Amino acid sequence: MTDLPLVVENLSFRYRDRLGAAVHDISFSMERGEILLVAGASGCGKTTLIRCINGLIPRSYKGELSGRILVNGEETTGWSLARISQKIGTVLQDPERQILGTKVRNEIAFGLENLGLPREEIVQRIDQALDYLNILHLRDRDTFNLSGGEKQKVALAGVLAMRPSILLLDEPLASLDPASALETLQIVRRLADEGMTILMVEHRVEDVMKIHPRRVMFMSNGEVRYLGGLDGLSAAVAYQEVKLPAAMIMARAKADPPPAEIKVLPSVAGTGSEAEPETLVRFENVTFGYEAEQEVLHGINLEIRRGDVIAVLGPNGAGKTTFVKHAIGLLRPRSGRVLVNGRDTHQASVAEIASTLGYVFQSPSHMLFAPTVREELSFGPRNLHHSPQQIEQEVKEALEIVNLTDREQDPPLAMSFGQQKRVSIAAILAMRSRILVMDEPTAGQDYKNYMGFMDSILQMPGFEAILFITHDVDLAVIYANRVILVADGQIRADGRPQEVLADLDLLRACRLVPTSLLVANLEHLAQSGRFMRAEALAHVS
Amino acid sequence: MLVAWRYRKRKSFIQSFDPRAWIIFYICYLASTLFFWDARFLLPLMAIAVFVLLTSGVKWHEMRRAFLFIIGFVFFFAFFTFLTGRGGLEVYEQEHLVRRFEAPFLIFGWRPALDITVERAFFAVSQLMRVFSLAVMTILIPYSLNPAHYGITFRGLGLPDKIAYAMDLTMRFIPTFGRDFQLTRDAQRARGYELEKISGGLIEQVRKLGPLMVPVTIHAISGSEDIIDAMDLRAFGVGPRTWLEQLTYRRRDYVLIAAGVLLLTVSLLLSLFGYGTFWVPEALIRAVG
Repeated sequence: MTDLPLVVENLSFRYRDRLGAAVHDISFSMERGEILLVAGASGCGKTTLIRCINGLIPRSYKGELSGRILVNGEETTGWSLARISQKIGTVLQDPERQILGTKVRNEIAFGLENLGLPREEIVQRIDQALDYLNILHLRDRDTFNLSGGEKQKVALAGVLAMRPSILLLDEPLASLDPASALETLQIVRRLADEGMTILMVEHRVEDVMKIHPRRVMFMSNGEVRYLGGLDGLSAAVAYQEVKLPAAMIMARAKADPPPAEIKVLPSVAGTGSEAEPETLVRFENVTFGYEAEQEVLHGINLEIRRGDVIAVLGPNGAGKTTFVKHAIGLLRPRSGRVLVNGRDTHQASVAEIASTLGYVFQSPSHMLFAPTVREELSFGPRNLHHSPQQIEQEVKEALEIVNLTDREQDPPLAMSFGQQKRVSIAAILAMRSRILVMDEPTAGQDYKNYMGFMDSILQMPGFEAILFITHDVDLAVIYANRVILVADGQIRADGRPQEVLADLDLLRACRLVPTSLLVANLEHLAQSGRFMRAEALAHVS
Repeated sequence: MLVAWRYRKRKSFIQSFDPRAWIIFYICYLASTLFFWDARFLLPLMAIAVFVLLTSGVKWHEMRRAFLFIIGFVFFFAFFTFLTGRGGLEVYEQEHLVRRFEAPFLIFGWRPALDITVERAFFAVSQLMRVFSLAVMTILIPYSLNPAHYGITFRGLGLPDKIAYAMDLTMRFIPTFGRDFQLTRDAQRARGYELEKISGGLIEQVRKLGPLMVPVTIHAISGSEDIIDAMDLRAFGVGPRTWLEQLTYRRRDYVLIAAGVLLLTVSLLLSLFGYGTFWVPEALIRAVG
């Protein structure tokens, strides 16, 4: 019992400035070489649990802590962070925000430098860690030029160089494209096979199941609701709450009544019989580069038409965001032109375009500023000179869609990340643009939440076209009626999901991985005639 | 994450020195320049700055933005001093009028007038030289100092581990701040916000900057919280630290430090003996008088 690498006993914690416990009476233990997957909705206490184990609680975050944590049989209460950090390595959620070094080698050296190791040993350990993750070629690169997947690996290498025996991973897949996520998972599997004890917090349960974690823990409201093998999870937790493989959802959903049909873009429906729908946005031979020497977009030609629900898929750094920023005039083409509603973006201000095209940025923290949600939401419409009565109505409806009606008077800045994301989407919805563009709308959100608001946004009256950038192939499968694959600044494919996503080789070339839902849909396509969510697919055959 | 400055390895005069030596020289240069108002003394100092600039290997398009900003700033202030005559009054007592311009209208009974005097004009020129020299030497530092060496440079100059690393982070935080600012501005523009159209009184204008300033500030705070967590989790500040990067002084570095110290000593002595105060060419005064 005492030599288990990690034992958590009756752990409870309440942050000093918050009401209610963040985690309550949590007990579990882990064996050497075990992978434990921790899943749960945003705010369920997963991050707090990690902070308790790695010692940031109570050393950096104060509050009431009770219970015990034992590492290799020893209680860590009196340990310094330096001592804990040599036993327990932590990779935080966003590699962007934890990389400190300018060069890869400096980043990996950071912890070792702090421990005061001799220089020769540091150099040796840097190479070992890089070699282990197969990224020796990155050693002398600047960290800020790395792709998302590379950053994740570098952050991991910096932790591994300190030779911990326990690894805590806080949503390591959140910002990665599917191929990079798969690589990260394979590394995690290998580490575990070599004896590392790994606790991994992740929403993407389906993905993590590929590496067969021994057990999964499902948390809700700071408590453990399920702890056990993977096969028991789907019985203990509703399939709407975590993302399970399509086959599991289908097996369960057969017994339930078929889900209600989603009426996508209701304002367009019914008029869809016309032969050639109206063009809303047109890209003509658009090229662009941030620096004089290099080009990021090479000759993009594209039309967004009335009734389109477009998913833009592609690897990290492919130019997806750059491409989409042209549609609202935040970037203007180096050559070629972009027409929004027939107007060249060279001739229109961003504010003018904003009344036609609403753009939701990836990170909510870059736009939230107002003291209340209500004021935040009325900011956009007021800039567009809508009347007060109109604004009242627009704010109310936007709040309903993102399910925040009761939070109208709350300060957005004090909300959780997921709620902030919903406020940021509502802020654009309230502007009543004809076209909605969203950059990674589901990033950092839990499954249940994002499925809920994606459903509502698509059914929202008023929009004539929707475009979203995503890494999540399943979002494209479920919601899009058109898929655009972008790689290396070019459009690699553009068409109906059934056509584009059926080309699995092309998907892999664009660093996408076919999901179980995509595969199930392709199998049933003859009967179903189109792509649909697993719950609906269960009732097809 | 912390974004890097536009540093690149270049074959240049400035990069041929150890960064510590260059910082020492830079501080000596800064102090020396501040002693003088005499254009004859400022000229050689400005020549040093121009030499360093021309041998820096930084391409014009790389530093265009920073430069245009500084040049605009310098000219604005020199011109402002010239118009009002403010700032110069402490360094010259007598003025020789070249020409007086009077406005053809009255504002509340006061007739705006502009006196162009030899002293004012030359004071503006001297000020331009001073600020230009300082600006050039300062702008070049981020382009020429390897960010990976910031920490060890400060450490090497005698600061304790923690402070040296903190300075390192701070230096690298500035461009990150700039990037966040741009992202926020874009996000708000997409909500119809137009910075160009802000009007109203001073307080009203500041209030209308809220949509920009609040997110940028909050982001900076939450970003630094993450950074502190990441540092804590990797045992920062627990004891004496090893620095992976090593710097070694070579002979040319000692020469540079000696040159800097000499420059400062000479400047100090000259100014103690009363040289280098504001000076106007006799010929100019005679030409006017």
